[in-house]
Amino acid sequence: MRLKSFLGLSLSLAKAEFKLKNEGSYFGIIWYILGPILTFLLLLGIFSDRLGNNIAYYPLYLLLGIVMFNLFQNTTTEATKAISIHRGIIKSIKFPLEALIGSITLKAIFSHIFEILIFFIILKSFGLPLVGILFYPLILGVFCIFIFGVSLIFSALNVYFVDLENIWVFASRVLWFATPIFYEIGNQTKLFLINLFNPLYFFIEISRSILIYNKIPDTWVILGSLGYTLISIIIGFLVFNRLKHKFAEMV
Amino acid sequence: MMEKIERISLKKVSKKFKIGFKKNRSFLARIISLFSGRESKKDIVCLKDISLNAYSGEMIGVIGSNGSGKSTLLRVISGIYKQDSGTVKTNGKIISLINLNIGMQDRLSMKDNIYLCGSLFGLGRKTIAERLPSIIKFAELEEYLETKLYQFSSGMIQRLAFSIAMHCNPEILLLDEVFEVGDESFRKKSQEKIKNILDSGATIIFVTHDLENVKYNCNRSILINDGEMIASGNSEEVITKYLKLIGVLK
Repeated sequence: MRLKSFLGLSLSLAKAEFKLKNEGSYFGIIWYILGPILTFLLLLGIFSDRLGNNIAYYPLYLLLGIVMFNLFQNTTTEATKAISIHRGIIKSIKFPLEALIGSITLKAIFSHIFEILIFFIILKSFGLPLVGILFYPLILGVFCIFIFGVSLIFSALNVYFVDLENIWVFASRVLWFATPIFYEIGNQTKLFLINLFNPLYFFIEISRSILIYNKIPDTWVILGSLGYTLISIIIGFLVFNRLKHKFAEMV
Repeated sequence: MMEKIERISLKKVSKKFKIGFKKNRSFLARIISLFSGRESKKDIVCLKDISLNAYSGEMIGVIGSNGSGKSTLLRVISGIYKQDSGTVKTNGKIISLINLNIGMQDRLSMKDNIYLCGSLFGLGRKTIAERLPSIIKFAELEEYLETKLYQFSSGMIQRLAFSIAMHCNPEILLLDEVFEVGDESFRKKSQEKIKNILDSGATIIFVTHDLENVKYNCNRSILINDGEMIASGNSEEVITKYLKLIGVLK
């Protein structure tokens, strides 16, 4: 029951935020997908003959990496600022604050769906089997729980340590380059070892295997993604629950 | 007569805050603070050993000068702030109207705002849809369902906030300076609504500077000064004490 009311409130907040963001805009939803699509076209133009030469279905490989990373980056960046942005309401009404982070995640999923639809259209145009699509909701579900956990941690810590907001802008950019989005790891052992500590590598790897290459991902990759998700959500709730009582007086 | 339920029980509740202040610092510390935004902090005590019991059907007035800790008290009761010591027990659904900020968004329509605020107060979408006609009828805003809030007058927004809160089945209603809502006829209507809510077993804690209102509406009152409860009991006596304290009455 608590989960139901939490999801209900998250959904209401997400709807309101979404309407607010699009209010009076002529192009509305197009703005959401424009960013990742432009990044995609740009990188495709630059790399398709070089880095992407040896990668099968490079456009799909690239686009999937971009939209998944985008989902992670948008949610966590927005969550970092969430508590101080909603300070007025936090000081006036007692409500489950986790729902603020839930709403940000839901909002990001919504625009992600549009991005992934474009991916599916390109997938179809390559004439590849579409059966992998059936598994994507499951991957996305687990991925979002992971993102929600990270967002809980960042949003709570940022109340105490406001520099985190700026650090994350840089750190997430570094992570963008460290994650094999527009290149592949191949035989580079060092890069591979580094990416074992990068949860995003696991999720993107799984999605690419299933959606593009129609392969079942290696067991250790699946276990790795589940492990990171578990760690993220547990630490997320622990940190958030421990710190949330002070939010109203800190912001 | 309904059996009285203890809705709120505060035992020796204290609350401190850290506030920024300017202290004499060394030259080096000042240079460092040019780059970093951190400031020096000290503790101030906002509530000192407050004990209070409130029962169903009661409306309790809270009076005191600005900065005496009245709003902090409401936030501690509602659970927005956590007390540093003492115990806070509440029994019933809490609805807080603190400075009428209930999360309304200027750029959203009234309908969207009712859904948003209703969910923040813990109502499901279905329940909100059922109560929507009654909410806008009470606020006398039937014609403006799709109008965005930035085009509302402040009186209209206040009426709307009040109406939403009243339709969320409060069992413990925390009102902070919100009685100055609307014109004479709306005020009369809100008084009646408040009375209905009290009769149905709710408790109301009412913070205000409108002493006439306290005298007229509140069964009893408490006076807070510098975080301490220095009087409690019959509203008229507490008001007299307050007026003496601030030097209006000799």
